[in-house]
Amino acid sequence: MVTVTPSPSLTSTAAPMETPAAPTKFSVTVPPASAAKSGVATTLINIENFDFYYGAKQALFDINLKLDDKRVTAFIGPSGCGKSTLLRCLNRMNDLIDGTSIKRGSISIRDVDIYGRDVDAIELRKRVGMVFQKSNPFPKSIYENITYGLRIQGVKTKSRLDEVVEKSLRGAALWDEVKDRLHESGLGLSGGQQQRLCIARTIAVEPEVILMDEPCSALDPIATSKVEELIHELKKQFTIIIVTHSMQQAARCSDKTAFFYMGKLIEYDDTRNIFMNPANPQTEAYVSGRFG
Amino acid sequence: MSSPSSPAAPTFVIGKARTRMLGLTLDECIQAFFGGNALVAVIVLALITFFLFREGAQFFNQNRDNIRIYRLAGLEYVDYMRQQQEDHTALTRYLFDVRLRTLKHLTEVEHCSLAEANARLASFDDFAGRYGDAIEPVRGLVSDLTEVATAIKTKFTIGEDTKIQREQLLSVGKTAEAAAVVIQPVDFKSELAPILGTLPAYKEAAVVVRKNLEASLATIPALPVHSLQPRMDRFKQLTRDYLATFPTTLHAMEIWDYTRPVPLWKSFTGFMLGRQWLTASFWQDWYGIVPLFAGSLLISMIALFIAVPLGVGAAIYVNQIASSTEQGLIKPTIEFISAIPSVVLGFFGIAVLGQALRAVSQIQSLNWIPGFPFSERLNALTAGCLLALIAVPTIFTLAEDAINNVPRAFKEASFALGATRMQTILRIIVPASLSGIVSAILLGLGRVIGETMVVLLCAGNRIQIPDFSVGLSVVTQPVHTMTGIIAQEMGEVPQGSIHYRALFMVGVALFFLALLINFFAQKIVRKYRISIG
Repeated sequence: MVTVTPSPSLTSTAAPMETPAAPTKFSVTVPPASAAKSGVATTLINIENFDFYYGAKQALFDINLKLDDKRVTAFIGPSGCGKSTLLRCLNRMNDLIDGTSIKRGSISIRDVDIYGRDVDAIELRKRVGMVFQKSNPFPKSIYENITYGLRIQGVKTKSRLDEVVEKSLRGAALWDEVKDRLHESGLGLSGGQQQRLCIARTIAVEPEVILMDEPCSALDPIATSKVEELIHELKKQFTIIIVTHSMQQAARCSDKTAFFYMGKLIEYDDTRNIFMNPANPQTEAYVSGRFG
Repeated sequence: MSSPSSPAAPTFVIGKARTRMLGLTLDECIQAFFGGNALVAVIVLALITFFLFREGAQFFNQNRDNIRIYRLAGLEYVDYMRQQQEDHTALTRYLFDVRLRTLKHLTEVEHCSLAEANARLASFDDFAGRYGDAIEPVRGLVSDLTEVATAIKTKFTIGEDTKIQREQLLSVGKTAEAAAVVIQPVDFKSELAPILGTLPAYKEAAVVVRKNLEASLATIPALPVHSLQPRMDRFKQLTRDYLATFPTTLHAMEIWDYTRPVPLWKSFTGFMLGRQWLTASFWQDWYGIVPLFAGSLLISMIALFIAVPLGVGAAIYVNQIASSTEQGLIKPTIEFISAIPSVVLGFFGIAVLGQALRAVSQIQSLNWIPGFPFSERLNALTAGCLLALIAVPTIFTLAEDAINNVPRAFKEASFALGATRMQTILRIIVPASLSGIVSAILLGLGRVIGETMVVLLCAGNRIQIPDFSVGLSVVTQPVHTMTGIIAQEMGEVPQGSIHYRALFMVGVALFFLALLINFFAQKIVRKYRISIG
């Protein structure tokens, strides 16, 4: 499981996978399964010299980060350190906020610059799904919640939708609990079930990356452990990036951890190293609970 | 311890007793003040309701008397014949309409000269003349009897007036003068005898009319324009239907009895379902709310038809799409509309909008629009457009609130699933705020129904049920409304008269309508709170 920081040679091997003919869509080519199994991860997301501003206020300073494919990466750090901001930059959710700007740097996924001129943010978000801090199912039925992503893409076939609903709910470990009340409101579920419904809704559109913004902060310990088990299952299929305030959660679920402080990336390494043997004294102070 | 001046053991003081006024502390006084204010609102509403009902409720007794004298004086009897005569007039009008169409066809399509066209219509005119004259025997009877019946009614009214006069004299203690006032009772039986005595004459007249009509139908000439023949066939059918009503009318007249009592519910249904609002008439006054209600309804529907897309659309745009600069511009502008006094809007309607709409309607290339061209400057459309302007701020503000209340999380979730802005608005935002939007529309409707000045100035004020059979062009007809009639007539009626009470009843009806609308709006809002969770 131990991986080194991806070397330039690894990045360059990923480059030929890109299809230059269709720059607005990501290459659907999945890296060889053997790579994931053998424990050698390829870089999926490459963040370079990234500066981000809310109006005149700089929120992120010169972030350089390479995130692995089919792995769980945790972003940790005290409140206001920019970890959520960076997460929301990965599917351009920050576009929805007035006054945000990127002054420098780039983010690329499979070597496609997602802030590139001809990249459609709508297409990007179909490939990079997101689960929010507070569960937010639509005020519709469970079935409608899951099929929403497909319906807006124009899928109408009943059998196909049924199939996706079952598959997604099974994928989110929710099927057995809700299979008899698919047409009841999603708001009638418990908090943990609602959050898993949101995860099911996200995986229904089959993204490559799932961004999780403190997905368990509003859940009780039992619901939290269910979601964490789910993350373990999901990483076989998806690349997961999770923002969390819980050090234990980061240690339990993630393969790699990035520590942020005051808008800067302080340290990025294997989770084990971050928690057992951090290189930076600030990281050590934070993970040992001395500040933050 | 030994010192006698050692301080007493410290006591645990929480606070000194509060000052009280009338046994109440300051806090309680303030509470009483707020409570009192709330109570005043409730009491005022209760008083308004009470007096509205008290004034209005007496209408039904008065209206019953009104209908009773209609029967006692034989007006009802004469109206049977008059109805027959008016039905015939309607048929004649139909005939005239056919002639007009034929003439138009002859001159415009076949390019005949006017004289030539008239010549070709000669046999038709001959027939129409005979048809029109056929009713003459009944018409003669009606005009004779009208005078007799009116005379009886006048006599009765004078009798009532002298009764009131005497009571007034008695109440101020002038017994001698009161005794001098002679009341002449009306003996309806003998007074009605000349009217009822005409029944055999009527029977004869009806037979003659029937014979005349049948004779003229038999000699009905073919129309010079073939395409209009179906209208003539329809006319024949209508005439046959008309003739079929003769026995019913006769039967009604035979069993008619002036002593038959008028039940109170007749007075109620006469108001609620009455199709005529006719006041200060020499013959008989009718107080039926239907034409006013239909007018109010028509105008409100036009107003909502315009205001709903505008208000809701603007609300969606401002809340979801507009930049903050646009928001800062649009919101105050729309809200400012509600600050315009409605009389100014009405004035604008008369001077500008009505004029402009008529001018537009008379543009040749727009003739395909139903109702175009129209000649009435003031009509339901003009009033509806202006009322829409009044409803837009209400709908906009409330709908914008409702949309704003949709949690931001829904929007973010939708975007995160790859939805476009339009998909998010139409599939998530609008459904989630739908009940709020609907209640905004209902409150807009309440605003429109209650609006007075604009409709009084711009609706044309013709008291008539709009002719819905003409389809969409009904919107260009002048109408009168419930609010308009109160504002227009309340100042001119003597207090306590039946007309005065009828106007109160219209007010009560409006009150109930507003109550109903608000009730539904609140019910929907309550449901809306639950759906967001």
